[in-house]
Amino acid sequence: MSNTLSKKELIARGILSQNPIFKLALSMCPAVGMSTTVVTGLMLGSAVFFVQVFSSLTISLIKNFIHPRIRIPTYTLVIATWVTVIDLVLAAYFPAAYAQMGIFIKLIVAFAIITMRLEMFACKESVSDSVVDGAGMGLGFLIGMVCLGFVRELIGNGTVLGYEIFSFKPFMFFILPCAGFFVVGLMMAFFNWIEARYRARMERKS
Amino acid sequence: MPETKPKSAKRDILSIVFRLTLTCLVAGLIMGTAFLLTHDAKERNEIQRNEKVMYSLLGYNEQNPAPQSMKMYPIHRYILDENQNLSVGYVIPAMDENSALLVVLDLEGNFVKQYPIAHKFGLQNNNNEDLVVQNTVGASILARFADTILVVTDNGKRTAYILDGKYPGFKTLIHIKMALNDKFDVLGFEVLEHEEDPGLGAEITQPYFKNQFNNRPAEKMKTLEVTKDPMPDDYRNALTGKGNLSNEQKGQILAQHKDDPIYALTGATISSRSVLNGNKAMVKKFVYRIEMLDKVIQSQNIQTVLKN
Repeated sequence: MSNTLSKKELIARGILSQNPIFKLALSMCPAVGMSTTVVTGLMLGSAVFFVQVFSSLTISLIKNFIHPRIRIPTYTLVIATWVTVIDLVLAAYFPAAYAQMGIFIKLIVAFAIITMRLEMFACKESVSDSVVDGAGMGLGFLIGMVCLGFVRELIGNGTVLGYEIFSFKPFMFFILPCAGFFVVGLMMAFFNWIEARYRARMERKS
Repeated sequence: MPETKPKSAKRDILSIVFRLTLTCLVAGLIMGTAFLLTHDAKERNEIQRNEKVMYSLLGYNEQNPAPQSMKMYPIHRYILDENQNLSVGYVIPAMDENSALLVVLDLEGNFVKQYPIAHKFGLQNNNNEDLVVQNTVGASILARFADTILVVTDNGKRTAYILDGKYPGFKTLIHIKMALNDKFDVLGFEVLEHEEDPGLGAEITQPYFKNQFNNRPAEKMKTLEVTKDPMPDDYRNALTGKGNLSNEQKGQILAQHKDDPIYALTGATISSRSVLNGNKAMVKKFVYRIEMLDKVIQSQNIQTVLKN
């Protein structure tokens, strides 16, 4: 066990200092594909959150059983299991949402953040810490997706959560996939700028 | 990683095989359980969606529900194979609610024989019903399910037919439901499943494309073609209900364009053509079969609720 962070710090790390989208820039392809509106962003974000938490839990539970030479195949297997479960549950109980997400749910199997968290954290740390770490990372992704969806839906379509805010579409371009990358870049810059200012102020104080 | 010697490498492989197998088994068990737990709900959704699509094709929705006098009867078609001698069996409802008739026709459409079946057939065929049909014809004949037509009646009079069909699109099969009225004019069709490209072929589900088929008589479907010309704006507005048109204006525009070819989707001519050809074939085969069946019902005086 090498984890020295408290549970609160683990959560904060996933959301802020190591946010999967704005800091680590992982899993960008589905993030850009599914963040055209707040609702789709929220749906993919929640699915990733559940898969991340359950996979971290499972890997942490069986970490002594996994043969070190086949770590990655085992991670993939575990993630694929939970993705299949989520896929079946969504198809059965949320058919409308499922129809919108389509292939992106199955793509969670190949999400870099999830595999990364299992390799970096869950396969070494205690069960409770791993679950908290997974929840932090999942929340970070969820919040990132909702922020992206908010900006793109507002600017691209003039709506938020389907309600009309502007009676016109300011920049249709923002809905398109390529603009997703621009929005990610702009928001990354924005968050870095806030962080830099915050750091500077802290330094001045001390 | 410690340096591995040949002996420990062998043990390593055994250990890897054992651990991976066990992990796979547990994973399979979890997925299987999830499948069993969600299977019923999924099937229910499917049936509900099917029903909603059927009613919306017939022009009914929550504001305008179907009348109580409306009834739906299934006609299941089976291919009967007796030592390579093919014939066609139609399971049609009998006079009384709880039984059915299997009417067997040869490939030219001549009546062969009929069997009474004491079983109430559902609107959607299932394995259990396939067994009932198989038992009826006996072991020497192999019965294979082909498709189902739904006959919609109102106060005993036929008002519409609902067909189910699959045909190849640009990529994979396109699964659709189509409704025709009693004179075999297309009432409309709805795409249930497809895998066409988003933004291109996937536009086949949009009203401005699929509504072009509405109100086309079966006779005119035969010669319908696809055109790459751009769709006139007034026609597009009338099809999608945009542009603040009154119902009267809409009807006028649609009447003007009723003999137009199908305007292909921009950048998806192949998908457009596949849908047109698929729909054409479905209508053609259906009209041929139902007319043949009706002729036999009349000439053999078969006792069925569909006789009126």
